[in-house]
Amino acid sequence: MNVRGLARAGIVLAALAAMLWLAPVLWMFATAVKPTPHIFALPPVWVPSVVVWDHLSGVLTKWPFLRWVWNSGVVATATTVLSTVVSVPAAFAFSRLQWRGRDAVFLIFLSSMLIPLEVNVIPLYFLMNRLQLLNTYPGVFLPIVGMPVGVFLLRQFFLNIPQELDDAARVDGAGSWRILLSVILPLSGPALAALAIYMFVFSWNEFFWSMIALSSPRMFTLPIGLRALQGAYDIDYGVLMAGASLATVPAVLVFLLLQRHIIRGVTLTAFR
Amino acid sequence: MSWRARTVWDRVRAGAPAEASARVPSRGLRRLLRAGEVVLFLAPFAAFWLLFRLGPVLYGVGISLYRWDPLGDVQFVGVSNYLRLAADRRFWNALRNTLAFAALTVPGILALGVGLALTLFTYRGRPATRWVEAAFFFPYLLNVSVVGLVWRWLLDPDFGAVLLALRSLGLRPPVFLNEPAWALPSIAFATAWWLAGYRMVIFRAALEDIPEEIFDAAKVDGATGWRLLRSVLLPLLKPAALFALVLTGISGFIVFGQVLIMTAGGPGRASEVLALYLYRFGFEYLEMGQAAAVGVVIFALILSLTLLSFRWLGYGSAG
Repeated sequence: MNVRGLARAGIVLAALAAMLWLAPVLWMFATAVKPTPHIFALPPVWVPSVVVWDHLSGVLTKWPFLRWVWNSGVVATATTVLSTVVSVPAAFAFSRLQWRGRDAVFLIFLSSMLIPLEVNVIPLYFLMNRLQLLNTYPGVFLPIVGMPVGVFLLRQFFLNIPQELDDAARVDGAGSWRILLSVILPLSGPALAALAIYMFVFSWNEFFWSMIALSSPRMFTLPIGLRALQGAYDIDYGVLMAGASLATVPAVLVFLLLQRHIIRGVTLTAFR
Repeated sequence: MSWRARTVWDRVRAGAPAEASARVPSRGLRRLLRAGEVVLFLAPFAAFWLLFRLGPVLYGVGISLYRWDPLGDVQFVGVSNYLRLAADRRFWNALRNTLAFAALTVPGILALGVGLALTLFTYRGRPATRWVEAAFFFPYLLNVSVVGLVWRWLLDPDFGAVLLALRSLGLRPPVFLNEPAWALPSIAFATAWWLAGYRMVIFRAALEDIPEEIFDAAKVDGATGWRLLRSVLLPLLKPAALFALVLTGISGFIVFGQVLIMTAGGPGRASEVLALYLYRFGFEYLEMGQAAAVGVVIFALILSLTLLSFRWLGYGSAG
């Protein structure tokens, strides 16, 4: 085989592997709309010949599923907005203002990224209990807002904006807040979008802390609700896959619409 | 000119409104105003960070030194929670499982991520790569419950598609999640499926950061194929690999959701990991002090991993 043929074979192989990679998701969707006997048929029915909506409507009517979607939306939106609002000025102070001890303080902030929520759940539980925030939205999102990832990402981005812009604005009499709002922020669209996407995805999917902070089914976020479904139907895969499929639909839609932004957002937020 | 040299007060002193220049503040006051400004910028974030991040870390170390009775009886017991952990075979089992899980997932996820990124990079520019990238990345957007439920269904001992597919190939696969030796590796496999695409995207971005001149120079030197990969690309990916190692390692140490949903730590305790141990002792047996001590242990694991990785792979080029 010549070089070009080999190259073509390579991409075809990659495409086949990619389809196989998505097979679990397709299997999930297929199971969600199969009649129950087909789910447990041997040999398996890969493509359902009849589509039934029982499992899906069961999830929607017997469980506060839409309420879980709403809860996830509230938590994720609040996290995204709040963490952006507090991270922007902090990143500005770490990148555009000169002050003694700046880098040392930043390093301390940064190293706290190594502490995942999982390590902190017991003290957070005590704290939230004392603040009477268990089983509330703020109880779920407040700890996530304190994650330093946003400050880190924005600082990196702000550092690459030419300092001359600030200086020119200062000559014109602008103060620091003014510079942040009218010089830095208008240039930071991609970084803000990246941060927003990252925080939204993270808080939409957060599991461990939410599971501890939320106790009443009507307050559950989507991941916690799905886990509750499993507790109730240990083997009813039709219902379980229906719930999982419904939970996946928003991800599919958002991804189809925003694929480039999401992937770029991920690369901007990650350490490389 | 830097921010330091130009404050409102400097401009005032440099010659302007009379009513203001009458009271030029002292150097000390100006410094104070500047410090005040920095504090103002940092305060909103710092409040969240202190209250919900640094505070709880210290609080957690404190709790781990107490015996915390749910009926309200709180008693200082020093390191005895840690001693109880050290004497608990179940704890050592969870620690071993956690390390095994990290050892299974980290190399797998990193190798898959680098391999996929290199493949996409080789075929960059072709329209197909966009779809291939999307397909591999997509599982990362699923939440852990969906991943756990789907893989539990795929690996179901009686009707799971994976077992049926393997059997139809004439193999006799183990009943993955119900067999002690296979439970943890199965969860690790599902985790790799979930997260490898994320790593792929990161490594791909790192590859795209490599300046074109380096490829030109390598071509002049006659480095192609494996030689290019080994001597040029992989060394350049080292900083990315360092952070990927640390972050993937951390996610291995705190694994919880997949385990809870796929096996609940079973069969027996074959897949009980530290986070699950912590959860059970804290919220099922209400041994809060002992659970907090497990949190400190997980943190110590993460810290050692980070320090070791920095030592192996060097600091300098990171970031």
